[in-house]
Amino acid sequence: MGTIRTLLSPRILSIRNKSDINLLRILVFGLLGIAFWGGLFGISYRLLIYFQSIEELGDILAWKLLSMVLIICFALLIFSSLLTALSKLYLSKDLQLVHSMPISSYKIFTARWIETALDSSWMIIVYTLPVLIAYGIVYSAGAADFIYGLLVMGAALVLLSLLASLLSAIAVMMAVMAIPPGRIKTIFVFLGLLLFILLYFAFRLIRPERLVDPEAFSTVMIYLKLLETPSSPFLPTTWAFNAIRAVLTKTLGASLLNGGLLLFSTGVAIFVAIIIADVVYFKGVSKSQTARQPLRKPKDDGFYRPGRSILPRPVAAYLAKECKTFFRDQTQWSQIFLILALIVIYLYNFKVLPLERAPIKTVYLQNLLSFLNMGLAALVLTAITARFAFPAVSIEGEAFWIVRSSPISLKSFLWIKFFIYLIPLLILTELLIVATNLLLAVTPFMMALSLATILFVVPAVVSLGIGLGAAFPDFNSENPAQSVTSFGGLIFMFISAGYIMAVVVIEAGPVYRVFMAGVLGNGLRATDWLWIFVSFGSILLLTAAAIFYPMKYGHDRLARAS
Amino acid sequence: MIELKNLTKRYGRTVAVDRLSLSVAKGIIFGFIGPNGAGKTTTIKMMGGLIAPDSGRVEINGINMGRFPEKAKQIIGFIPDRPYLYEKLTGMEFLKFTADLYGVDQESFSDTAHAMLERFSLLDWKNELIEAYSHGMKQRLIMAAAILHDPTVIIVDEPMVGLDPAGIRMVKKLFQKLAAEGVSFFISTHTLSIAQDLCDRIGIIHNGRLIATGTLDDLKIQANASEDDLEAVFLKITQEEQLGAQYSQISKD
Repeated sequence: MGTIRTLLSPRILSIRNKSDINLLRILVFGLLGIAFWGGLFGISYRLLIYFQSIEELGDILAWKLLSMVLIICFALLIFSSLLTALSKLYLSKDLQLVHSMPISSYKIFTARWIETALDSSWMIIVYTLPVLIAYGIVYSAGAADFIYGLLVMGAALVLLSLLASLLSAIAVMMAVMAIPPGRIKTIFVFLGLLLFILLYFAFRLIRPERLVDPEAFSTVMIYLKLLETPSSPFLPTTWAFNAIRAVLTKTLGASLLNGGLLLFSTGVAIFVAIIIADVVYFKGVSKSQTARQPLRKPKDDGFYRPGRSILPRPVAAYLAKECKTFFRDQTQWSQIFLILALIVIYLYNFKVLPLERAPIKTVYLQNLLSFLNMGLAALVLTAITARFAFPAVSIEGEAFWIVRSSPISLKSFLWIKFFIYLIPLLILTELLIVATNLLLAVTPFMMALSLATILFVVPAVVSLGIGLGAAFPDFNSENPAQSVTSFGGLIFMFISAGYIMAVVVIEAGPVYRVFMAGVLGNGLRATDWLWIFVSFGSILLLTAAAIFYPMKYGHDRLARAS
Repeated sequence: MIELKNLTKRYGRTVAVDRLSLSVAKGIIFGFIGPNGAGKTTTIKMMGGLIAPDSGRVEINGINMGRFPEKAKQIIGFIPDRPYLYEKLTGMEFLKFTADLYGVDQESFSDTAHAMLERFSLLDWKNELIEAYSHGMKQRLIMAAAILHDPTVIIVDEPMVGLDPAGIRMVKKLFQKLAAEGVSFFISTHTLSIAQDLCDRIGIIHNGRLIATGTLDDLKIQANASEDDLEAVFLKITQEEQLGAQYSQISKD
């Protein structure tokens, strides 16, 4: 145990020695976290109170919800643990150092597993707790009852997390024997996204809006009857669920039996994982060190032959570098899949809009939706920009010295990055707007307005992405695409969303006036024209500020930081 | 020609480089040695335009790095101590990328790049991704990229790290050949034998200050040492400096 504690000590000491504590960052993240936690608790509590008011069905619904929460929680734990275990066990930078020490590989595995279990589960546990606390409050008789229930629920959650991390670690150790770790990561991310998309479409195809339709109510009752079907007795989530339900309904025997099952299986899993680690872990590490050769040799596609590009040479050089780096890095492929999924979901939602059954006049509704769609498409753009343009500076990584020592100024470098990302994002967003407007069959005025607005919004959002990405770079990250979840990424999301909302709000008044004038056949008055001029003038100024200021801010901070 | 004038850089309260002034004439190989944490890499980074000094200036062929960084960098070949590169490009693609940034003639690029790759024994690897290169191969690729645009000043941080004996010999010969053609070198190293074999002049930095500079003979006189070995001279000068610093600290207390 002493060796394992020593192996974990660098992590603990690094946290303790951390000097760059940013209070503002802690405050922003802390407040957001608390708000989200409180929201989850509030919703869960209200829902359970509502269920309590439904005779007969109330408890069935509450228990089914708990069972679903535990299954989703366990699935998330497994997915998160798979990726974390892979990184901790096979992709960490300190692996060579640790394996060169006179320590048994099973001890290294145990230390890494403890880190995996903590890293992959703390957030899921923290955000499942409010749901369980709500159950505790609703189903407990008194304070002592509540505390006892909470302890059992917390223990069940921790055991589920440990079990998930052990099963994932075992799966990863087995998988690495057959496939290189880098490739497995891509496969896991891809499968995870695929699962999410399938779940989404399954949910959409059920068409939950039908539940409010009285004609479909009999089917719903049949469905609710099916809810009483018990889950598989071999699933850890069933044991956790049974233990929690038993403790909340005061059946001590069942609570002890199911809790014991969970505890025993976790103990067995620890034992099995350590035995497997002793046999295969080092072999896998060794394999992963020698599997660096790419499976497919890059083709000489002539991209770099002289005299071909019409772009200035540094721009062409960065464009080619960016494209090749992106397409040759398999970990980035999941990004493309994510975007495609986002676009398909977005377009599908417009396709299934029941406009003809709406109580509002269709022409008015179509154009209202088209107007709101500008904002929504811009928010989709923000999400894509956050994944691509925001990490564009961080993606240079430790090779950033090449940029700094080259005869290209930092300012030019940032503007080159800006244009590299602007063109594809502009085309993508304009296509998205055209497609959705065609699905909505909007007026030519709304089509032109949407296209023109997006023409202004895209450069501003891309500039915010590049500029703030430069202001908050992370050159040491193993996966810079994840920098979107950093403090800088969050700031980008907030400012970008704020800018988009401002544009939509400023445009709303004059657009409504113009649209109604067209519908009613009235002309525009002088005051209307003045309003239009002031509104669109303000948008131009706001957009110009959103394009130039972030770039300058990013440049200044990056220059100071380096 | 390299000129450093009163170059100073602080990291918080620590003075990494303290009013450093020196000059390296055309065609001279200048070795920059010093203990760990003496300020060598900080100096190199300021010279390469990677970080800005707090005060003082760097001039490359009379061009002020602070005022005209792009112009100054255009005539520098910079070789860092750690070979971080774009791992998903091939060796040839990286050379082309560098050539485009430095504006190397497009027509002659292919021949020049092939000659470079051949010189650095990388021709067979030109279409392999850099991620498949060994540490030494990456170091050689960086060197090839650094001299691709015919720089008049080459700044090198630990030139021989990761190179095999044949590579070290080749690099030494190359540096001497380029120096003979008029290229100035500023080489920071811990390997004193390399400084002794390769450098025309040597500067010793300690606690951010330049404490000795000159040829090996000049340094021997300064250290009052009889040995021909740079290591002995270096140790004597730095230890004396350390003792002097401790003495003045005690006197102050």
